Amino acid sequence: MIKVRNLKKEFKTPAGESLTVLKDINCDIEKGEVISIIGPSGTGKSTLLRCLNRLEEPTSGVVEVDGADILDRRTDINLIRRKMGMVFQNFNLFEHLTILDNLTMCPILLLGKSREEAERKGMELLDTVGLHDKAGCLPKELSGGQKQRAAIARCLAMEPEIILFDEPTSALDPTMVSEVLAVIRHLANQGMTMCIVSHEMQFVRDVSTRILFLNEGVVYEEGTPQQIFENPQKPATRAFINRIRTLESVFENRHFDLYGLFGKIHTFCNKYGLGTKILEKVQHITEEMLCGIMPFCGPVRLTIEYSEKTSGISMTFYQENATSTILDNTGEDSLSLMMVKGMSSLVTEPNPGTVRIEI
Amino acid sequence: MTGRLFMILLAAALWLSSCKGHMTQDLSDVNSVEDLRGHSVAVAMGGSYDLMLSEIGGVDIVRLSLGELLVAVEKGRAEFCILDQYQAAMLNLQSRGLEIKFKNILKGTAGAGFRKEDSLLCRGFNDHLKRIIDCGEYDSWLDEWKAAPDSMAYASFAVPRHEAEPGRRALHVGITINYPYLFLKDNRLTGIEVDFFNRFCEEAGYAVDYEIYDFSALIPALNSGKIDVILSHMRMTEERARQVLFSNPYIEGGGAAVCRSAEGGAAGVRAGFLDRMKESFRNNLVEEQGWRLMADGLWVTIRISVLSILAAVMAGAALCRLRMSRRRMVSLPTGIVIDVLRGIPLLVILMLMFYVIFASSRMTGTWVTVMSFGLYYGAYFGEVFRTGMESVDKGQWEAGSALGMSRFQVFRKIAFPQALGRIIHVLKGEVIALIKMTSVVGYVAVVDLTKASDIIRARTLDAFFPLILVSVVYILLAWLTGMGLETIERQLTSKSRRL
Repeated sequence: MIKVRNLKKEFKTPAGESLTVLKDINCDIEKGEVISIIGPSGTGKSTLLRCLNRLEEPTSGVVEVDGADILDRRTDINLIRRKMGMVFQNFNLFEHLTILDNLTMCPILLLGKSREEAERKGMELLDTVGLHDKAGCLPKELSGGQKQRAAIARCLAMEPEIILFDEPTSALDPTMVSEVLAVIRHLANQGMTMCIVSHEMQFVRDVSTRILFLNEGVVYEEGTPQQIFENPQKPATRAFINRIRTLESVFENRHFDLYGLFGKIHTFCNKYGLGTKILEKVQHITEEMLCGIMPFCGPVRLTIEYSEKTSGISMTFYQENATSTILDNTGEDSLSLMMVKGMSSLVTEPNPGTVRIEI
Repeated sequence: MTGRLFMILLAAALWLSSCKGHMTQDLSDVNSVEDLRGHSVAVAMGGSYDLMLSEIGGVDIVRLSLGELLVAVEKGRAEFCILDQYQAAMLNLQSRGLEIKFKNILKGTAGAGFRKEDSLLCRGFNDHLKRIIDCGEYDSWLDEWKAAPDSMAYASFAVPRHEAEPGRRALHVGITINYPYLFLKDNRLTGIEVDFFNRFCEEAGYAVDYEIYDFSALIPALNSGKIDVILSHMRMTEERARQVLFSNPYIEGGGAAVCRSAEGGAAGVRAGFLDRMKESFRNNLVEEQGWRLMADGLWVTIRISVLSILAAVMAGAALCRLRMSRRRMVSLPTGIVIDVLRGIPLLVILMLMFYVIFASSRMTGTWVTVMSFGLYYGAYFGEVFRTGMESVDKGQWEAGSALGMSRFQVFRKIAFPQALGRIIHVLKGEVIALIKMTSVVGYVAVVDLTKASDIIRARTLDAFFPLILVSVVYILLAWLTGMGLETIERQLTSKSRRL
């Protein structure tokens, strides 16, 4: 139904430089699919969605909807938009119209429906999203969740072939997220074609037929929810799915700034809410490893990873130019190594020169 | 609420008007122009007496319009005023506690003024004048006028010629109301000079069209081509003769200095307040059908206001569109134009348009007014519109577009109604300001409500009643406009609350 080829989008910054958000996007959306677009913030998920109905003008590439190239000047974009609903993060209900008028205006104006017919259909839709009583209210009288449900009903009033959801729950109080997700879930069950940008991972996993993982301006990895969530193939996907946070430092020789490093570790642990005990462990292990165990026959790189999903912390010490395995050369009776092992749950050396410590 | 406020204001105005300035100085030894040094003297701005007193020096000159001179003396704002002595003699000064102190100030002759290039017209006028003076007709006619101006005014109700003879043009004649030379009786222009000029036009075949100006605006209007003739009891001074081609003199003039009479303290016997009001009402509105002049003026004010509002809305919409253009080449110059328009006082724009930009065109003051007001208030309206449009969230545009509406449909159905709902309050203030501001159009020879009251004041020399009346009418206008706009506002909001 929608075909995207070599889509590229650049933004001009106020300073006049151009910022490439989407480098080279290729994807297809077929009828009946529920596609979710996920990825780190700033990777252009919303931009991609907005390029599909040309709310953003792509820099180059091809976007075809039912065979019509929407970037072609001769294509009437307004006709195509009528069959592509869009739900916004900020709802964007028409503030001066009642909820029912929000639903009926475009069907009357654009589809030529009679007022009676449009209002009957509108009330029906309000019924399905549970807002029958709010038909005569102005948007400002509704809660966030109600507004978003009304906005979904407004899309449906145009009888679209596909609905684009642009972070539909990001602006909502946590208590209101589920009512909106329930409505979207309901639509998915009815076989509506949808394309969703969302940060609600559990929801995305449940509702999608296919997931696009967007990273660095391309479709980095693509697959079913099982493939993406349970067995991601690429490191960035994995990091994102497990919500892994990292801290990296490189030390040229033994005379590095230990207390500066402690400061960095302190900040890192504070940021992700790790307690004092874990902070002290990480600092101790770092000190023992760097001051006692690592041979420093070249620069040493330290990577601390914290997975928000599993709450696991791992530290990797990598010795460049390592000639032999480090742990074996240290000896079982080394006090430093004993202390490290005492504080961690697992110490391994998968490759010579790379020590991996799990806490 | 409005009613009570109005009553309070009225009471305050009445109290102020009944207070008389205190004057203890003895004026008995002032018997010539030179003696006026050290005294305050009210004169018509730009008139010959104004120039004369400036030359004497040491006189505290209070420059007013003709209608305010007597009132100024009555209320003690000035010790003396200088009026045409003939006019002063016609007035019932005694009843107002005033008297003529001395006469024959700047005795001289007055004539009609023409453009320097218009010597042919001037010669024709002089020939006519010479003929009727030579046969003695002129003197007897003038005597009749002087004896009983009011009855002569009726006799002279010959309508000014409206159609020119072939080969003759229509003459635009600039006048200033100045009883008994040029004044309105039963809403018709008459007076010694008007009667005389009508006869000349009748005989010579010119059509004639009188336009009322401030005295000080007559010479600029003549030289910019707005008028062809000055007929305003204008004294022929050397300075004026440099700019104006005067006809042969046909009437004599001289001033009288008027002050409060020595026994003026006896004014306590004046009639009570209600009687005075009744008399004012009769003098200003009923006699000589002043109400018709006021009604015509009100109609002009309403017409100018409505047309100006329409023009301002259109200009404002255009300026708003250009100002909001994404192209800096368009939006930047528009911003400058708006700043310039808003930076010049409206009256100055009006004069510039009338005397400079459209000087040579025969566009009437009404249209120049509508254009000036349209531009000036267009700049204000445009910025108000822009504020309204910018207050509409970008998301509203996106939502409309995403549903498949064209940009124009989004504007008409979504952005515009929302913007209008937000700016109508501010707009209401601007519209009322515009209506009140139309009171300056008298400067470009349009007789609106304010100018009509000026004309009546120039005739009755009563400041209080016409001004209060005009204020009341403006308050009513503003109130009605406000009501109208509030109705629109209510409809806007109720529309969005259907069901």
